[in-house]
Amino acid sequence: MSKRVIYLLVCCFSLPVLVLLLSAWMNLDGHRVDLDNVLSGMSATHLLGCDALGRDVLARLAEGLRLSLFVGVVVVSLGACFGITLGMLSAWYGGWVDICLMRMADVLLSFPGILLAIALAAMLGSGVDNLILALVVVGWVGFARLSRVQVLSLKHASFVEAARVNGMPLPYIMIRHLLPNIAAPLLVEASFGLAAVMISEAGLSFLGIGVQPPNASLGTMIKEGTSLMLVQPSLVVFPGLMLFLIVMAVNLLGDALRDHLDVKHT
Amino acid sequence: MNLGQAIILRILQAIPTLLGVVTLVFFLLHLVPGDPVDALLGETALAADREAMRHALHLDVPLMQQYFTYLQGLLSGNWGQSIIDHRDVWLRMMERLPATIELATASLLLAIILALPLGYWAARYAGKIQDTASMTFSLLGVSIPNFWLGPMLMLLFSIELAWLPVSGMEQAGSLVLPTVTLGTALAAMLSRMARSSWLEAMSMDAIRTARAFGIAETWIWWRHAARIAAIPVMTMFALQLGAVLGGAVITETVFDWPGLGMLTIEAIQRRDYPLVQGCVLLIALFYVLANLLADVLGLLLDARQRHV
Repeated sequence: MSKRVIYLLVCCFSLPVLVLLLSAWMNLDGHRVDLDNVLSGMSATHLLGCDALGRDVLARLAEGLRLSLFVGVVVVSLGACFGITLGMLSAWYGGWVDICLMRMADVLLSFPGILLAIALAAMLGSGVDNLILALVVVGWVGFARLSRVQVLSLKHASFVEAARVNGMPLPYIMIRHLLPNIAAPLLVEASFGLAAVMISEAGLSFLGIGVQPPNASLGTMIKEGTSLMLVQPSLVVFPGLMLFLIVMAVNLLGDALRDHLDVKHT
Repeated sequence: MNLGQAIILRILQAIPTLLGVVTLVFFLLHLVPGDPVDALLGETALAADREAMRHALHLDVPLMQQYFTYLQGLLSGNWGQSIIDHRDVWLRMMERLPATIELATASLLLAIILALPLGYWAARYAGKIQDTASMTFSLLGVSIPNFWLGPMLMLLFSIELAWLPVSGMEQAGSLVLPTVTLGTALAAMLSRMARSSWLEAMSMDAIRTARAFGIAETWIWWRHAARIAAIPVMTMFALQLGAVLGGAVITETVFDWPGLGMLTIEAIQRRDYPLVQGCVLLIALFYVLANLLADVLGLLLDARQRHV
């Protein structure tokens, strides 16, 4: 990794990490209502001020960041597990399994990703679990397609044939022989996926179909902040800045990973 | 395979996908946990009202029959009725479509106007300060969430400087901020693509030959390399014709822009399920068409793709 990238990464990560650490260290509660401090600016007790209900902005930012990272990691992990397994099996068996799975993937890819997530989450009802479900349904496809294409080209390679004639069971071949050989583009996909999922989580919450009040998500905070923009602009500036920085950091990591692993297109 | 056959094959391949899209949209209603009628009317509603609602949503017939009624309706132009104001879903969408088309066109125009010079600049001065500047813009553009960029632009240009209206579409200049919000991410992706394809084109043998003939460097960049680099860029642009509608859902909500995207969110908030289905299906149809267009463009521009 070049020095410039490392420098940028440190810049992007430092503020969110600072928020998380400060909030943990000061033992703040983002749900405690303090009516004396409604919409107050920065002060010693409330470092970043308070929102319309007098709740500490710093604590809510930390809560939103944790949620964002949690949803991101869970969705990408689940999506990768389903997607890679299905994609590899699809390529391995071919025939009808392959055709059905790939048709399904085509259909899911016929919607703009964010629209499908919005529609699914809206129908399933709000809440973090439904949000995760909707994002996984949208997210597994990329992993499935990538792993399928690569296994197709590897499945007749001599080292795979050798493992087969030696009587290795299929799960063993897949995990020990195929997965390490297809991991590079999947890692890159995962890092860009993480950024996309974090934006989607906040976007859905912004639209009111993700995380519900009083719980804090960066998206709901931006929504609440937008309506109070004239009174206290910092309420919309801070949550968005956090999301922006962390997404940019993840994107930078993805770029660096892609260059490092020499993956062409994802 | 000749060009015509390849194009027809591609169009035929889109048919099962379309059927799948329609099926998925149909089943959206059945994703509502429990009984959709309960979700709409509450559990204390009168039995007669419940029956009427059940009938209006066609939930009183077997699933297969519901499905075929839905398909038949779509084909005959009957996309269902809103359960809030009982108006035709198709008409409601058509009222809102022009605003979305206006915003999408403006954003795509902005994207291509920004992306081509930026991509060229970055490729021509690869590794230099111009490249860094242009790719930093691209990184910022793909990382900035549009539901935050929108409010930030409002804060600066509408509230602090008071140059532009905050939201809506009645006043002059109201198109500017939504366009910038929606167009930035598109421009960021497109400029990246332009840079990498331009660089790839410049490394080809044909370009080396052109250089050996002593053709002016700028002429090579814009005349010879641009033609090769245009293929992936135009394909991506065609894909964005569809993707822009997905982004419009959020951007329109931010700016109260009365288009299809805002209609979708309004319908979701009022639990107007037939209208939600209609909007999702219409946007998906545009998306499928854009993907088809991208593939056909690829076939037209790039003879290599015809032999796959």
